[in-house]
Amino acid sequence: MTFISTAFETHKLMCKENMLIAYTGHFDHLLTTLLLVNIKSKLSELESSTGIDKRVYSVLVESIENVSKHGFQGDEKQFIATLLLSKSDTKYTIVTGNHVLNTEIPEIKAKLENVMRRNQMELKQMYREQILSKRTDENNAGLGMIDIAIKSGNLIIYDFKPLTENTSFYLFQTEINIPKP
Amino acid sequence: MNPLIIDASEDSPSVIFDTTAKHFTISGKSRPENTGKFYNPVIDWIIKFEDNLAAGKNKADNSAIVFSFKLEYFNSISAKYIADIILILKDFIVKGYPFNIEWHSAKFDDDMLDAGKEFADMVDLEFDFIEY
Repeated sequence: MTFISTAFETHKLMCKENMLIAYTGHFDHLLTTLLLVNIKSKLSELESSTGIDKRVYSVLVESIENVSKHGFQGDEKQFIATLLLSKSDTKYTIVTGNHVLNTEIPEIKAKLENVMRRNQMELKQMYREQILSKRTDENNAGLGMIDIAIKSGNLIIYDFKPLTENTSFYLFQTEINIPKP
Repeated sequence: MNPLIIDASEDSPSVIFDTTAKHFTISGKSRPENTGKFYNPVIDWIIKFEDNLAAGKNKADNSAIVFSFKLEYFNSISAKYIADIILILKDFIVKGYPFNIEWHSAKFDDDMLDAGKEFADMVDLEFDFIEY
């Protein structure tokens, strides 16, 4: 397939999936800030009367921070990550993808499972404990993940796709339902 | 003590601690690149402000200081620093220094309203909830 055909196929796929943002590249703070400014204004236009824009934005920020602060930073090429945001009539879907070392997978899985098996009340209790605990690490991912689980109603899916002998692509998906009018 | 004024940026909130007007406000978006670097001087300022409170305790004008949180968004790391600020304010209130805490949230932004209720409940303080 020529590159121009690939571009056309990508365009068709993005329209079909109603993709609001599809980004692959470096996730540094400045760039993600610029992306978020753009997304925030798009969401405000779409959801000015429901308030769901703020929830989607919040989950999006925590998802991006999860990538930019915990993504594998070994090789330049491997720090390239992906962000997708799509909207259907009933929900918003956010997907992030980033390289991780295979040795990191068990710890990431354990953290995710620890959040995913909780109900809303347990999540709120965990959130409270985390927020009042002493700050030990700027990159403490626990609170962000709990926040995502609370705001999305725990609609989280994850997967690890093998890339090389030592690395995998970590995909993290969250859905936020759009309330019925 | 001089007021503390920090201008807002695309990822960090505005801080206006106006000692003359007795109105302290943190407003805007909070997702600083280095959260500690942003919030630690703010927290240090508040801690030092206790000397002013102690000096003014028995003066005639002992009206309450209004502390307003008017945040559009804060990330989870910022939440920990906001909790720290609220805990310091609670300590001041317990010591008898008059503070009113206002929590502002945009219309329809139930998550921001709930976050304020959660903070208030967490530290067992009364907040004034204001919709804008």
